[in-house]
Amino acid sequence: MTRSPKRALVTGGSAGLGAAAVSLLQAGGYEVVVLDKDSPAASENPVKHISCDLASRPELDAALPELIASGPYGLIFLNAGINATGHFESIEAQAHIDVIRINAEAPMVIFARLLEAGAMRRGAAAVFVSSLSHFTGYPGAASYAASKDALAIYAKSMRRHAKSRGVSLTVAFPGPLRTGHAERHAPKGADASKPMDPAEAARLILADALAGRKSSIPGSANRTFAVLGRIAPKPVTALMRRLIYSRL
Amino acid sequence: MIGAKSRRILITGGNTGLGLALAAKLARRHKLLLTGRKSEGEVAGTLPPGAGYLVADQSDPEASAATVLRGIRDFGWDTLDNAVLNAGTGFAAVNGIDSTQAIRASLDVNLLSALLQARALYPLLKKSGGTLTLIGSVAHKGSAAVPAYAASKAGLHGLARALRSEWKADVSVQVLHPGPAKTDMHEKAGYDPGFMRSLFLAPDDVAAMMASAIAARRSPVTLSWVKYLNGGAYTGRRL
Ligand SMILES: NC(=O)c1ccc[n+]([C@@H]2O[C@H](COP(=O)([O-])OP(=O)(O)OC[C@H]3O[C@@H](n4cnc5c(N)ncnc54)[C@H](OP(=O)(O)O)[C@@H]3O)[C@@H](O)[C@H]2O)c1
Repeated sequence: MTRSPKRALVTGGSAGLGAAAVSLLQAGGYEVVVLDKDSPAASENPVKHISCDLASRPELDAALPELIASGPYGLIFLNAGINATGHFESIEAQAHIDVIRINAEAPMVIFARLLEAGAMRRGAAAVFVSSLSHFTGYPGAASYAASKDALAIYAKSMRRHAKSRGVSLTVAFPGPLRTGHAERHAPKGADASKPMDPAEAARLILADALAGRKSSIPGSANRTFAVLGRIAPKPVTALMRRLIYSRL
Repeated sequence: MIGAKSRRILITGGNTGLGLALAAKLARRHKLLLTGRKSEGEVAGTLPPGAGYLVADQSDPEASAATVLRGIRDFGWDTLDNAVLNAGTGFAAVNGIDSTQAIRASLDVNLLSALLQARALYPLLKKSGGTLTLIGSVAHKGSAAVPAYAASKAGLHGLARALRSEWKADVSVQVLHPGPAKTDMHEKAGYDPGFMRSLFLAPDDVAAMMASAIAARRSPVTLSWVKYLNGGAYTGRRL
């Protein structure tokens, strides 16, 4: 008899932090299921791809049965996200809607339905990718900030119940990453800290998740920023305004 | 009142609960436009005299923003001094897990509608140097009983933090986090607080604290027993 393989789910696994997590998980012996609207890049270790645009409720509802049937998972990495930067009032309403749906609503629905269906093994780890913005005001990305705060607090609210089902829950708060996402949205030279290599961030986050830690802030500069944001919210938000909003 | 300028105030979810308690407090001195999901017929006779009423269902966030904006113009207002985005709904999580419908409705009604309404109302608030008030909840820090509701309120908190900075030159933005109050919300949510309900604040007292927090324009502000016992419902600024 063969031992059943470890299985992982990564949303938004076709690029950036998600793709980095996919590679690391494969190297760690996981079979990986990727939920993404784009196909994952061809690699030597193929993944199972479930195509779904998370901005679309009907598409997510249609994908859920396959998502559940592809488990049970030992690890899920809820990472898919988009940003919409600019002056809040001039950003299209639809862009704000998509940000809330993709970044907050979809991972909440996926987690709730997987947990309910028993599609996560006892001892499984679930990672919710929030953002370092949780520790500061984020002028210039108001709906993004709202979505990431909503996700972090949903995860925190679910921790006890998930634990009763043997699932540990980690909220990740990555800072700026060297990914297409950040390059598309951050104004040039906007980052206070040097953007982090996504592979490094994924490694640190997965290590925290597998150790069952409640939160993961990859990188010491980001951890410092988070502390500052907590003890001095006003100056840190003002700094964000100078660095980001006033350059938009 | 001597010296108190009459303001144009929009209160969403103003037909019952905290929104109505706030409206009742403000009706004598200010002009009010209230919204809700119930029809005009259903609320007839329950609203403070002189207040306008508008049906704006927030289960469709984009439509609700357009309806509110149109309603304000039809009411004859071309500016707004205060927008109090208070309409909200919650669902007790059955066996600890929210249904998909509860997640979507919580985010649509509580977060996305407020977000799109704020976006639509910005020009009107800007014209008068007005104040945008988002009604959150102490649950914004997390709640196992109502996870999706807690998430929606955390979203409002993050939205307010960002907008307070973005709009600081034109519009004051704040988020107020009431503690549990004796309204029908918990029953509608399918959540029985049991004897704890006797510890809930009276809607009237929460509304009084809301009014002074709105006048003070600070953010974030928690409106709970601690504030109440410090005289929060009787002292403080007057709106
Ligand atoms: N009561 C508390 O303990 C407490 C604590 C913290 C925060 N809050 C927050 O305070 C606010 C007011 O709460 P409350 O206690 O006064 O609740 P409530 O008595 O249940 O009143 C809720 C209000 O929101 C409106 N509303 C609900 N769903 C709507 C929809 N889909 N479209 C449009 N309007 C809708 C309702 O209008 P209809 O009646 O027409 O449906 C009603 O006016 C909410 O944001 C709530 O989350 C309450």
